[in-house]
This record gives sequence, structure tokens and C-alpha cells, in this order.
Amino acid sequence: MEETEMSIAYDQTLDVKGARCPMPLVKSRKAINELPVGQVLKVVATDRGSVADFQGWVKTARNVELLAQETVNEGGQELFVHYLKRTA
Amino acid sequence: MTITEGQTAVAAFTPAELYARILRDEPLFVLDVRNEEEFRRSPIEGRANLTTANIPYFEFVEDEDGAAARVPAGREILVVCAKEGSSQYVAGLLHERGYQARYLEGGYVNWGNFYDVRDVVTADWGRVVQIARPARGDLSFAVISGGKAALIDPMRHVQVYRDVVADAGATLTHIFDTHVHADHISGGPALAQETGATYYVHAYDAIHPIDMLPAVITYTHVEEGDRFEIGAVTITTRWFPGHTLGQVNYRLDAPDGRSALFTGDGIFLRSFGRPDLGGKGEAWTPILYRSITERLPRMADDDTLILPAHFSTLDEGDANGVFAAPFAEVRATNDALRPRDEAEFTSYVLSHLPVFPPEYVEIKRVNIGLVTPCDGTANELELGKNICALSNA
Repeated sequence: MEETEMSIAYDQTLDVKGARCPMPLVKSRKAINELPVGQVLKVVATDRGSVADFQGWVKTARNVELLAQETVNEGGQELFVHYLKRTA
Repeated sequence: MTITEGQTAVAAFTPAELYARILRDEPLFVLDVRNEEEFRRSPIEGRANLTTANIPYFEFVEDEDGAAARVPAGREILVVCAKEGSSQYVAGLLHERGYQARYLEGGYVNWGNFYDVRDVVTADWGRVVQIARPARGDLSFAVISGGKAALIDPMRHVQVYRDVVADAGATLTHIFDTHVHADHISGGPALAQETGATYYVHAYDAIHPIDMLPAVITYTHVEEGDRFEIGAVTITTRWFPGHTLGQVNYRLDAPDGRSALFTGDGIFLRSFGRPDLGGKGEAWTPILYRSITERLPRMADDDTLILPAHFSTLDEGDANGVFAAPFAEVRATNDALRPRDEAEFTSYVLSHLPVFPPEYVEIKRVNIGLVTPCDGTANELELGKNICALSNA
């Protein structure tokens, strides 16, 4: 497992930089389906709307918990990072 | 579960089509697939026959069939999201299931930035044109006479004004803002810079009321009584402090005896401008009271056409989407203008103040040149309908 600046442990990373709504969430759903139960997926997006949308999604999602979100500045580009755990 | 990576070929609809159908009050079903917070902040509003439902797109991602089952069958579905992508995705899913579904081209952002242009007055001496931004409830105007054009309260997307002036074969000479707006970004300074027309605003509004910092834009100060000739019509400045200290109304007098009053955020057809957006509601409410009770009757005749800068609901307009009424009618039907003594007025104002959107402080900074946002930030600042009027609730 790797550790982040926020000290959230994660198992896999999904890079959806440049992808626009709805693709960051669609691809995250697909990646979660392929993730072993209990593991954590780190999603890195550039779509600002993903922050509120991921919060809304996990309220209705069957097997996803949103552990944390952070905004990181990488070379002048804002990155929106989501940590998703497959719960079942 | 199936994940659709590519987009199914479904048709789009434009903001212009949506607005035309809303004005005709056709039965419409708008499926808004934004998240609940965005939907609540800026729903698409229409008339009696518009039905809106919110099922966020991620509920379709999570359970395509379950979400689709909540969409009514047997009628056209107009899908809306923030920027188009998700509505195209959901319309595709619905299309695969036999629905007649289309998506809003450019999403809500495009709807929010859609302008509708139509004549309010046409006469021998010229025209008064209403340029509306329906999603925001924002109204602006062009006065065209004798080859000259003046604009009142032009908004951020200046191309629409360039087109109105060019189509009339006129030259833009005067740009009037009734006040420094809090809810939307003015197109006045930018238009003045590119055309050489003069941009007018009252100097009291050129100081940010909360920052107490002066404007860094180029403007010319107008004050009570200033007169301007636009072709055959005269425009007279009438000071109407209260919503802002520098709010002015512009009265148009035409050679055939017709008159109009561009009231900005002074009075609206069914309400009037709230006095608290400068952060000084208690101090400004008595000033607004005197403007409404003493100044207004001196600047409008019974048949003076009232042309405000905002509406709160589409019902304030006629079937063609024109938001105008003679002063006598406004006085009789606008409950907010009902005669009250100063104490009653103050308590009426205080009990009808809507929320104070925090971005309104920033928008005033933009309008006097203290900050310059990019397009994306400007769209976010201006999201949703204006909240400049007292609420009628």
C-alpha cells in the first residue's frame, strides 16, 4: 500500500485527468467493480464538478464509501483527488 | 451492469427552442441530472406546464434500469446537466430504452448565458428593444433612434448588443448602467472600450460599498437631471437611491408623447430592489422609502412604461416574453408598492429579505474593475437566477 499526503492508504490509482463529466464517475464505477472488496481506489480528476458529484454518488451507491477528498495543485493545474473504498 | 463508454447518437435541443416552448407554455418534462445542490440552486423555471424532475446522472451510472424506471414513459424527455456531457449520456440510456429523449446543447451553462431579443416599442421615431437573459431573470434594453443607439444595463455577453446595434444600422453612443450590479457582470465597460461610446454610472456606485475601494474602470458620472439626446428621444437621469446609493432611473421621452422609465433595480413589476446588498440595509431602507414614496411619483406618469432590470418569475411577462407595464398598472398590482408608513415599510422590507448570496460582493468588485475573472469563474459567479428583489413569499 502507498501513503498519501493525507495519510490515506490506497491500493490502486485511476487517472481521469482531462476526462469530463460523466466520465470520471463512470470510469470510477467500473474500476470499483473490478476492485477487491475492502480495497481503496485513488481517483485523480481535473473536473471540478467531480467533487460534489462523488459526494452525491456515494450516498446512493451500493458498495462505495468516500474516505476523503483533496485538492492538489500540480504545476499550476488543480487536481481533485477522491479516495473510494469498495465496501461489499 | 453495462457501462457505455461512447455516446449514443441522440439529438440535442437548444436554449432558444426551450425558451420558445416555455413561453408558449407547452407541456414539457425536463429531467435535470445535475446533483441535488446544483439543481436546487438553479432549476430551469417555466410556466404552469413545465414539469421538472431531478435524478442525478450518477444514479443512472449506479443503476441504469432503476433510474430509468423513474422517468415517465410516453412523453418527450428533455435532459439537462451542467455542461452537456452527462445529459447526453443519460439521454442515450433513455433512448436505448425506447424513450424520446434529447439533451440540452451546452448544458445549463448555455441556458444561463442564453439571450432573447424582442421589441418592446416600435414607432416612427425608433425602437426600444428588450434583451433578456431568461434563466437569470435579467433584462437590458437598447434605445434606437435616428441612427443612434443607447444601451441600458447591458450584460456580460456583449456580442448580442453588437448585433442589435448593427442590425439596426445604428451607432452606439451611450451606455447607461442604472447602478453597479451585484448579481451579474456588466458588459458596459467592455462595450465602451471597444466602441468608444461613453459608459455612464452614478459616482456613488463607483465605490465598493463593503471594501470602500474606488472603481478602476473608466466611467462618466451621471446625476439627477442629466439629459441625453438619442436621435429623436430624450433620456433624463433620475436619482433613485435605496437599492444602491447610486441607483438611477432613466426616463425616455419620445416626440409622440410616449414615455418609459428604465428602473434598473429601483422598482420591478411585482416587487422592488432590496436595500441590503451593500451591507447597509438598516441605513439604506429609509432612503429607499423616500425614493419610492416621494421620488417615484415625480418621475413616472400613469402611462409611463416601466422597464425594470429583473423579473422574478416568467409570469411577470406577457405571452411574448416582454416584461413591461404602464406605471398605473404597476402601482395597482405591485403589492410591494402598497402605501405604507415608514415603520410598516421597514418591517415589510426586513421580513421579505431573501438570502444574501456571498458571490454578490465579488460581482460588485468585478463590475468596478477591482478583479477580473476568467469565463469559467464568471459563469460560476452568475449561476442561477438573480435575487435582487424582495421576496413575495
